[in-house]
Amino acid sequence: MKIKFTWRIWLLIIFLIFSVISIVNFQGFFENGILIKSVEQNSTSFEQGLRTGQILISVDGKKVKTIEDYTNYIQGKFISEENVKTIIQTNQGEFILYSNKAPQIIVSEIPKTNLKSGLDLAGGTRALVQAKDIKLSADEIGELVDVLSNRLNVYGIEDVSVLPSLDLEGNNRIRVEIAGATPNDLEKLISEQGKFEAKIANETVFIGGERDIASVGRDAQNARIESCGASSEGYSCRFSFSVTLSGEAAKKHAAITDKLEVNSTSEGNYLSEKLDLYVDDKLVDSLLIGESLKGQVTTQISISGSGSGEIEEDAYETAKESMHNLQTILITGSLPYKLEIVKLDAISPTLGKDFVKFILIAGFIALISASLIILFRYRNFKSSLMVILFSSSEIIIILGVACLIGWNLDMASIAGILATIGTGFDDQIVILDESRNRSISSLKQRFKRAFAIIMGAYLTAFVSLLPLIWAGAGLLRGFAITTIIGISVGVFITRPAFSDVVKGIES
Amino acid sequence: MQEQETPQKKQWHDKYYKLLLLVPAFLLLFSLSYLFIFYSQNGDIMHRDISLTGGTSITLYDNLEKIQIENDLSSKLMDLNIREIYDLITREQKGITIETTSDGEETTEILENYLGYKLTKENSSFEYTSSSLGKSFFNQLLLAIIYAFTFMGIVVFFLFGKQKKIKVLITLLGIISPILFFIFKVLTIQQALIFSFLVLVVNLIIYLKYNVPSLAVIISAFADILMTLALVNILGIEMSSVGIIAFVMLIGYSVDTDILLTNRILKKEGTLNERIFSSFKTGMTMTLTSLVAFLIALIIVSSFSAILTKIFTILVIGLGFDILNTWITNVSLLKWYVKSKNEN
Repeated sequence: MKIKFTWRIWLLIIFLIFSVISIVNFQGFFENGILIKSVEQNSTSFEQGLRTGQILISVDGKKVKTIEDYTNYIQGKFISEENVKTIIQTNQGEFILYSNKAPQIIVSEIPKTNLKSGLDLAGGTRALVQAKDIKLSADEIGELVDVLSNRLNVYGIEDVSVLPSLDLEGNNRIRVEIAGATPNDLEKLISEQGKFEAKIANETVFIGGERDIASVGRDAQNARIESCGASSEGYSCRFSFSVTLSGEAAKKHAAITDKLEVNSTSEGNYLSEKLDLYVDDKLVDSLLIGESLKGQVTTQISISGSGSGEIEEDAYETAKESMHNLQTILITGSLPYKLEIVKLDAISPTLGKDFVKFILIAGFIALISASLIILFRYRNFKSSLMVILFSSSEIIIILGVACLIGWNLDMASIAGILATIGTGFDDQIVILDESRNRSISSLKQRFKRAFAIIMGAYLTAFVSLLPLIWAGAGLLRGFAITTIIGISVGVFITRPAFSDVVKGIES
Repeated sequence: MQEQETPQKKQWHDKYYKLLLLVPAFLLLFSLSYLFIFYSQNGDIMHRDISLTGGTSITLYDNLEKIQIENDLSSKLMDLNIREIYDLITREQKGITIETTSDGEETTEILENYLGYKLTKENSSFEYTSSSLGKSFFNQLLLAIIYAFTFMGIVVFFLFGKQKKIKVLITLLGIISPILFFIFKVLTIQQALIFSFLVLVVNLIIYLKYNVPSLAVIISAFADILMTLALVNILGIEMSSVGIIAFVMLIGYSVDTDILLTNRILKKEGTLNERIFSSFKTGMTMTLTSLVAFLIALIIVSSFSAILTKIFTILVIGLGFDILNTWITNVSLLKWYVKSKNEN
């Protein structure tokens, strides 16, 4: 056997090298430390400059190599309620925190590869959303995507992707995928249109969104849970936060309150009408307006509300959540349409890890058994070894391309990889058989024939995959795209190299 | 030794190849009538799971008795369907999947009340599809398969057909429906389904008139799909949206061997039977390697993934039928065609 390293073989080798470079995350091998996966917005950690993607190297001078190192140390440190100093060393500098709470960050090991697994394997929440009762155009959906992403970001959900999704029927929908959030959060943020209105005697003073709201107080000084106490439903907590109105809205407020009378009560002097807060046309709270505000052009006002629960802790949490929601819709304004969730999946990460392991086992055994058949048929160890090598190299290139374009490998993509390997095997058998076809004298002619068959099979597979890219709101796109990448890599890169190797074996 | 065998084989196959066609013809007829009866009874051509009808599926990572839940909840949740999940190596039960056509909130509430704890993302997975979306998915996937079939037919005709004008004609016919439906949006999906099906039939008639080998390839692929679908229904397997992928994969694998066969037979090297036999050797290796790989994968995945189990089951059944349809249906039709052409 004499294998000449032709340009086709070199091309394959170059592709393999590039794929490996794109798959392997070298940081994972050379950096000591752990990765900051997310930082809670508006937390001390965030304010001091900790960000997603930084690598945490040490805490208070103690080196952190594993997640256990970190959690053990932090758990031991934040036992009392007092503020303590924490020095966090990252690859982007040192950060000093003063807080009575552990840093509000989520950490993970630095991944060894750049492969991203899809939601159905890694866990997370996915929703397919459409406008209620109307069909939206692509432009309208684009606008909605912006508003919705803004709302999710303002709410503080990390790792979220909001994408338009067009299907075969021409339905424009939005696909929201979130790594962390629970389906309840998502449902609330999406299914509420979030139309906020503040009215006095049924006259609108201001609404949510940037036209009327200049800013919303969200830090500890300007937003807080004030008091909790027993109520008819168990417990109830009140929250309040400050809002800065735009000049326009402040003038309107002055004009309306100017017309009102002052009522004197034992608790103080208030105007005759209340400020009623509506969300999606439902009254959520009514606030008394102090006498001093009558006719005043004031931009600073305070909004309050309450949350209740069976125990005090629940009430506190509900109040905090309601406040958060209200702040979000005040900042982002109302969604332009009423939305409905047509598909909602929340996949637990529990099974994901085993899953990938099991699939690898299954794939490996299947590959070995298929090559045994080839060994049995051709009685040539070299050829069967080559088939395994080339099929594996094809998988590496597919994964390399997936990393390069940031493709998330989901269940459908795995089916796509399987389809590719199957096709690859078929093609390699055709090449092996044609190369031994004694009825054609020249080896070159034999390979030409083999490629005519392979090209034919490739083109039919290619065109039959096209409709799947758009069918089913893109949920099967993973299969179509992965298979198209895979069979294209096969036909244009691995098969030509394989045929050159077979040439070497045969001659 | 082979040389003595071949003449005998020749005689046998030359004598009976037309008669052999009766086997797939009978099976195809049976599948068609079974599907017809199935349709008239169920109003549908397959059993659909909740991803295509709409409904909720909740997987609990807890040791629960399947029968117990069935008894307790079947009156509260509509069309209840329960499956257990096992660990691949220890065979220990890892969880249970509950499928129902009831909607998401209702199902969660009933389950939480029954179990006495809250469902969180740590202890469960949740999937909900609205019924309108499920139906829309189903129609789209059906249309995707018809388009896949039409496009595949066009490529096959480009490979084996000769007449340029006809190539242009079938291509134009093939893309009218996608253009009207997808780009100009003047057809509803039902109209597109009917229209594209009619185009497919017209194209088949054109293949019959101008290029029988192309027709033979498409008939074999079509028979593969129909026979597989019939058996899948008989086995009571529910189709999911991801399961439909398997049918598209099947089109690909089915056509692979057919193209190999047609390519070799239409080239005039050696006798007709030699050409058939050499294709048979290559093609069977191709199909057998895939079949064995899928069968092994099927055994492994069946304990932990319902989705992959469905895909592999369909592929194994499909490849089984493909052996029949490539080496009887396609071979006999081609042989018939080549022989009658030689006589003229």
